[in-house]
Amino acid sequence: MILEFMRDDHRSCDCLYADCESALLAKEVEKGRDLFSRFSETTLHHFDMEERELFITFEKRTGMMGGPTQMMRYEHQQLRSLLESMKLALNENRFNDFFGIGESMMIMLQQHNMKEEQMLYPMIDRALGSDAQLMVQTLKAMDQ
Amino acid sequence: MFNQGLSLDQAPPISVVLRFFMSVPLFGLLLSALMGFAPIEILTPNHPLSLAAIHLMFLGIITMSMIGALFQMQSVLGGRPIPYPVGNGWIIHTLFTIGVLSLAGAFVFDLPPLFVIAAVMLGAAVLYAANLVLPLLFGGITHDTLRGMRLSLIALALTAILGIIMAVSYANATFSPSHDTIRTSHYSLGLIGWIAPLIIAVAFQVVEMFYVTTPYSPWCKQNVFRIIAGSLLLKILFLFLTLPYLWVFDMMVAALFTGFVVTTALRLRMRKRRVSDVSIWFWGMGIALLQLALIFHIGYLWSGNLLAESIALIAFSLFALSIILGMMSKIVPFLVWFHLSAQGFMDAPIMSNVIPQNRSKGVFWLFLITAAFAVISPLYPLALSVSGGFGAMMFTLLLANLLGARRLYHRTLTHGTRFEQL
Repeated sequence: MILEFMRDDHRSCDCLYADCESALLAKEVEKGRDLFSRFSETTLHHFDMEERELFITFEKRTGMMGGPTQMMRYEHQQLRSLLESMKLALNENRFNDFFGIGESMMIMLQQHNMKEEQMLYPMIDRALGSDAQLMVQTLKAMDQ
Repeated sequence: MFNQGLSLDQAPPISVVLRFFMSVPLFGLLLSALMGFAPIEILTPNHPLSLAAIHLMFLGIITMSMIGALFQMQSVLGGRPIPYPVGNGWIIHTLFTIGVLSLAGAFVFDLPPLFVIAAVMLGAAVLYAANLVLPLLFGGITHDTLRGMRLSLIALALTAILGIIMAVSYANATFSPSHDTIRTSHYSLGLIGWIAPLIIAVAFQVVEMFYVTTPYSPWCKQNVFRIIAGSLLLKILFLFLTLPYLWVFDMMVAALFTGFVVTTALRLRMRKRRVSDVSIWFWGMGIALLQLALIFHIGYLWSGNLLAESIALIAFSLFALSIILGMMSKIVPFLVWFHLSAQGFMDAPIMSNVIPQNRSKGVFWLFLITAAFAVISPLYPLALSVSGGFGAMMFTLLLANLLGARRLYHRTLTHGTRFEQL
């Protein structure tokens, strides 16, 4: 339940980034900026959903306070920093830098997503049990 | 257990992975020299030089890089990192390197004692690695990639055990009546059990997520490794019981791999990320070579033509090498950036500055030429010498790229600026 919902959200973020890259490759700079902005917003919203609801509930249920969720938060911070660097590069028209940082960001983001999808979300699903449905509703209701 | 698995601090030091990766071009240069100077012998089935070349390729190049990648992948895909990566990496790499050199040396120089050293060293390296990693893959949450990794490592361990038996036979120059059966089981486990499932397991993750493609079908993900394992098991059983219709299991695996080739090609073609990337070229080339290997292997099953089997084996080895080179073109720059960034260096180089794109592309074009000459070499044996020449150039450039990345890493460590220094 959580796995499917969050994995779909990962994929929709990825698609926005792929569209952003395509637009910039086609020299459609304004469209690329707009798509990057949407990608950045949806990714940061995804991190917020995890940090403000999902992880806290999981930690309360399992008592695992300083473990996997803490490490995911740390990775979120690194990714936020990369998104900020990319935004700066794009605003200053440093497209090579944008793509260069973007490559690192994408690998890091996908490694992060793999850990969540392969391990953490199944653990959260298991910990929440029948409350997973309610959690999905709560996450959907969070404002972006 | 999960706590450790997700810790960035638990990622192996870059030196562990680079040690394995940097050995690859060195073994590649040895193989290229052999191809350059002894093409006829290499293309003669079961000739000692042919066996030396095969083991340099499958152990020194392919398995060496795959074990190095396992150290990195384990914490991401396996859920738990390999413990004490520096010490364990050193032990496995040292045993493995001595083992591969001994084995190749035993075949090339016809020195039976080297077979014993090779058996001990390679057996120890592989069984040590399997014993280290396999327990980490059981007991936690299971997923499709994990199933592929389990199958791969079990098959690698079995390949090593059969290899030890064969090496002892070579050392004593006495071959049991079941030598051919053991040899067929040995290479079937190595090619179909160790190499292919690991690449497929990684593809299930990497293709979909890094290139933003539609996912592989859940049925395929759930069943592919079961079918491979079942086919292999039955094939080996039929081999030892000398039962007929052995080819049925090869055909099952061939059909499965063809499905993998087609679905992967479609996904790469329809991928959402359109950025030109040399790793995509290597993936495309790799799956084309796998399809070529399957076609010629089926041709061999149908006709019994040994030339077709030689082409199939060469194409299969190049398929694995292509995926490995593509992976290295991404993972090495990423690791340099990642480890420097994690240590707080604000001037950590972006990936495209670690290994410039034109140099990665250079490796690809040299690989393409090397592969083209190698694949036609069973028909025109001297083409293998030409392939060896281009292979030497390719591995030299690869070595230069890896050394450059390592140098940049150490230079930034020494002269770079950390955030805390500002």
